[in-house]
Amino acid sequence: MKRRPQPRGPLASALDDKNILIVCGSGGVGKTTTAAAFGVHGALRGRRVLVCTIDPSRRLATSLGLDHLPDKPRLLSLARLAQEPAGSLWAMTLDTKRTFDRLVERYAGSEAARKRILENRFYQHVSAAMAGSHEYMAMEKLLELAADPRFDLVVLDTPPTRHALDFLEAPDRLMGFLDTSILKWFLKPYFAAGRLTLKVATRTGGVALRLVDRFLGLQFLQELSEFFLAFEAMYDGFKERAAKVHGLLRSASSGFVLVASPSRQTLDEALYFYRRLREGGMPFVSFVVNRVHADPDEERAPKRQRTGSTPRIAPALSDALTQVLADQTVLARSERRAVARLQVDADESLVLVPELEADVHDMKGLAQVAEAIFGTVESRLPRQTRRHGTSSEALESPARTR
Amino acid sequence: MILDELLARRLLILSGKGGVGKSVVGTALATAASRRGKHVLFVEIDTPRVAEAARYLGSPPVGGKETEISPGLFTLNLSPALVMEEYVRHTVRLELLIRKIVESPVYHRFLAAAPGLKELMVLGKIMTLEEAREGWSRRPRYDLIIVDAPATGHGLAFLKVPAAASAAVPVGPVASNAKKILGLLRDPERTALAIVAIPEEMAVVEAAEFHKMAVDTGMHPRALVLNGCHEARFTKAQEAEILRLASAGVDGRLPSGAPLAAALQAARRHIRRRKLTRFYTQRLRRALPLPLITLPQLFHDEMGPKAISLLADRLEAA
Repeated sequence: MKRRPQPRGPLASALDDKNILIVCGSGGVGKTTTAAAFGVHGALRGRRVLVCTIDPSRRLATSLGLDHLPDKPRLLSLARLAQEPAGSLWAMTLDTKRTFDRLVERYAGSEAARKRILENRFYQHVSAAMAGSHEYMAMEKLLELAADPRFDLVVLDTPPTRHALDFLEAPDRLMGFLDTSILKWFLKPYFAAGRLTLKVATRTGGVALRLVDRFLGLQFLQELSEFFLAFEAMYDGFKERAAKVHGLLRSASSGFVLVASPSRQTLDEALYFYRRLREGGMPFVSFVVNRVHADPDEERAPKRQRTGSTPRIAPALSDALTQVLADQTVLARSERRAVARLQVDADESLVLVPELEADVHDMKGLAQVAEAIFGTVESRLPRQTRRHGTSSEALESPARTR
Repeated sequence: MILDELLARRLLILSGKGGVGKSVVGTALATAASRRGKHVLFVEIDTPRVAEAARYLGSPPVGGKETEISPGLFTLNLSPALVMEEYVRHTVRLELLIRKIVESPVYHRFLAAAPGLKELMVLGKIMTLEEAREGWSRRPRYDLIIVDAPATGHGLAFLKVPAAASAAVPVGPVASNAKKILGLLRDPERTALAIVAIPEEMAVVEAAEFHKMAVDTGMHPRALVLNGCHEARFTKAQEAEILRLASAGVDGRLPSGAPLAAALQAARRHIRRRKLTRFYTQRLRRALPLPLITLPQLFHDEMGPKAISLLADRLEAA
């Protein structure tokens, strides 16, 4: 089938030119699928892409038809999509605990400091299980991946909005926390000695400390302070890298894509997020609205396929058909109104992805999503294109290349 | 029958992938319970704007206070920051000091950065609500508390926090609270878990993952609610007729005046979705040893009281 050549919109240009694309949105809107589709398309366009999910539920694995993605970037085969793909596609999931461990191993300074941290009880439990540490680690990982020479584009999938915001704010939060007097002024003098009594706590800051004891417990504070003290040598590094991420998220080579489904609720959230991005000075690329239902009235079979005959239809079937048509029309129009509202509130690039025939959970499905977003792939490397036929042919007949 | 099982305990926690309609299902469950004369509290956690439940039931937005939005049905939007402040108030009881604490930057930064503290606070508040009794009668304030937990990945982290906290700090108020919360979450007599999914690949995979991890952590999933099911609208013979007509490229109008070609297109899409619904329903039945309730995909313009009431009817019939 011949397709109209599509103009390269802001999203397509971003995929060609940026080094970091961060894909955000509320839960269940298809962020992971969208991120993976970006990866597929980018690789077919000749880029060396890494798709990284920081979502702990490991959905990317399903998206790519893999049961388990290792914590390290893994090269995926594009053989089903193109004979000789111009670029390459890597994928990984973020393992919070392992990233934390490696960070400690790398930056702890001395063997003793390393041991002290890795054996700290608070560290052992907190770094693995607690919500919030994901965001810290994602931030550290992003920095590492951005500097990895194997990739020229990192597509980062994020957890649902609430937590994606946490992610954006993680650098600032960490810097704020490390700057606070809570460590130097408040905890250290009392805890550094390794012993803590309420008697000591009656001096400077004593009142506050006594209160903290009342509602958190000295034991808690002691564990926490040991944890912090163990990290003492790493603070400056933390702060330095947090500042780097802060800059990285705002640089022109990064871009944010906001994904939504065509429902009022998720579009509202996308808008909220959009405003936060603008306030934070972070570069916005485009909205992507997934799984938009077509208005049945506007997508009848092409004229030439119609016979023009009107068959007799039993009343029961006619009623059921009328109802199903009415239902889907209501749905399609309510979606369209919701999208139109977003366009009024944010006059930005917006890509609508129609609902596909089947669930997307393999390479072929991802290529279909990519095609719905970007149109067919036109490789940026014309010579290769001529030799092997167009990539779009390969996309349409993946069986041929198998 | 399944509904009885789900509503039999005092605490019901809903979890599932984002976008599967946990708030809607939770609101419908709360409605069904209140119809049975129960005092129900539906708890949402840190929702971005206003509480969804109130909006679905056509009530003005409620904030951080327990609000009765229909007879016997209360909602509450728990914000970790407010819960923490309440805790400080409760412990300190000295207005001047309270203000000094909650207004200090150190407090805010500590709260924002200390991992797990927010989760622990919110769960602690839920436990307090579960324990709340009416003054003289000593009757529980709520017969049932339904919690709309954060979406799976983080939802599980959320439920894992008490175990992690009590392991990290074995003694002190934090540890004893964490242990109490853990006891409540794991108590088969007091707490039930319901997993919400929709008939789609990723939601189904996550439902199974969540089930496994919940069981591993010692919690008790009691039912699976499959939301957004496309139910059969045509008989087998009618489906065959539709496919035949669609490929014949017929035109014209139905007796109702609706355009036939568009109706056939819509019908084909419906048939495809219905097949997917059946496929994933069967897969879930095979994968998880849980009773299954299916709820239909609705085609209302906006989720409102009518839609919620319809879903509550369906829950009662389950």
